[in-house]
Amino acid sequence: MRYFWLIFTLIIALFLQVTLLNFFPVFGVKPDLVLVFVVFNAFLKGSRNGAVVGFLGGLMEDLAVGSYIGMNALALMAAGYLVGLAESKLYKDSPLIVMVLVWLSALFTQFLTYVMLFFMGVYISPGIALFRVALPSATYTAVLVLFFYRRFFRLNQEGLLYDR
Amino acid sequence: MFRKGSTKKIILFGVLIISTLAVMSYTEFGRVGVSPMESALRDILAPAQGLAMNLGHRLRGLVSFPFTLVNISEENQLMKKRVSELEGKIRVSEELRGENDRLKKLLDFKTGVAPAMGFDVTGAAVIGRDPGNWFGMITINKGSGQGIKVNMTALNDQGLIGRITSVSSNTAEILLITDPRSGVGALVQESRAPGMVKGEASYPGKVRMVNIPLGTELGRGQVVVTSGFGSIYPKGIPIGWIRESGREASGLFISAEVSPFVDFNRLEEVIIITGVRTPAVASNISALPHPWGQGNTDIIGLSPGAIKAGEQGGVINR
Repeated sequence: MRYFWLIFTLIIALFLQVTLLNFFPVFGVKPDLVLVFVVFNAFLKGSRNGAVVGFLGGLMEDLAVGSYIGMNALALMAAGYLVGLAESKLYKDSPLIVMVLVWLSALFTQFLTYVMLFFMGVYISPGIALFRVALPSATYTAVLVLFFYRRFFRLNQEGLLYDR
Repeated sequence: MFRKGSTKKIILFGVLIISTLAVMSYTEFGRVGVSPMESALRDILAPAQGLAMNLGHRLRGLVSFPFTLVNISEENQLMKKRVSELEGKIRVSEELRGENDRLKKLLDFKTGVAPAMGFDVTGAAVIGRDPGNWFGMITINKGSGQGIKVNMTALNDQGLIGRITSVSSNTAEILLITDPRSGVGALVQESRAPGMVKGEASYPGKVRMVNIPLGTELGRGQVVVTSGFGSIYPKGIPIGWIRESGREASGLFISAEVSPFVDFNRLEEVIIITGVRTPAVASNISALPHPWGQGNTDIIGLSPGAIKAGEQGGVINR
């Protein structure tokens, strides 16, 4: 049942990302809401779960784009796995810590995407990739943590996302 | 070194990675068809996406509203509530007026510029955008069922937007000219110097015109239009204006930074060229507003705006 609600959350996040969030760009970029929930889940549930949910979330993003299917899946799987490693090492009730994790994961996934695109023959100049895409979107994404983390944390402790 | 179970896991993991990479390169950009599953998914989602985008337009207008009315008297609260209600109504009507203006511009385009250029056109609404920041792709609410085909050109009254890259029966995807995978054969309107306009990530305010021959005189504000070479984009569609130029790293060509006329952050409706024929009245082109024709050349850095009612005396194609 937990997976059902989690996937439902990811679908809503993706839906918002292709529609509503386009109207609130900051410095021309929009946040990665799916990544936010993938990181939340990995941070609370560990590497294995984090990697699986990351893969699913990324795959949904890929299907929405329609080309290079699997690229976001791999990037988010890697991010989910790495964030999951921090599960038993950091305090879980501080949104600030999660913000830093989301910021780092966003930069990391953008870096992986950049490298994969490069090998698929899409060249984007590094300056533009870093300053116009990766840094602004990672920062914007990290700010969103403040709106969602506490609620997600509570649902995970005793609500819809509680698992045994 | 590894336990028995973990070797198996590593092999499984390797298979997953390799098969994902295989799917990724199979679905590399440029694939024309859409798989039946993707097509069905898109068609099912299209109405809901349209609705959410519509809500987005309204929310953007309302977001600057006062959220909380705390620590004030009840009466004051009521009055503020009433004021914000009325402000809300004003914003809704402003939103409608904005929509009206936009649609009027498109209609003017359809009855003015399009017949003079010889374009058969149809309008469509934007119902979705790429979820990431690397690419510039949008989804529109018309597809093969409405006669939209791959490689048709998308534009609006301001200039070139992109081209159709895939269609399902009720939706289509457009590759914007700001996408790094996009390349448009282009000319500098004044000097007729050729080049190619390429996108740079999905950052909306800038594209780059590359491969311009050495020795070409480029000036700030010169207009760049499609060249018609390569036969995807019809000739003469305005793309943007030159901001600055310089030698390319190779030293063999010049490249220029170009500001598109179209505001890609605020795309709500687009026009698709469904067919190109010989213009009904050829001389009309010179009467069109800048940069479509030479009608009005007093802008630098401004969007060219709509053709005014009555300005165009050509044959109207309905």
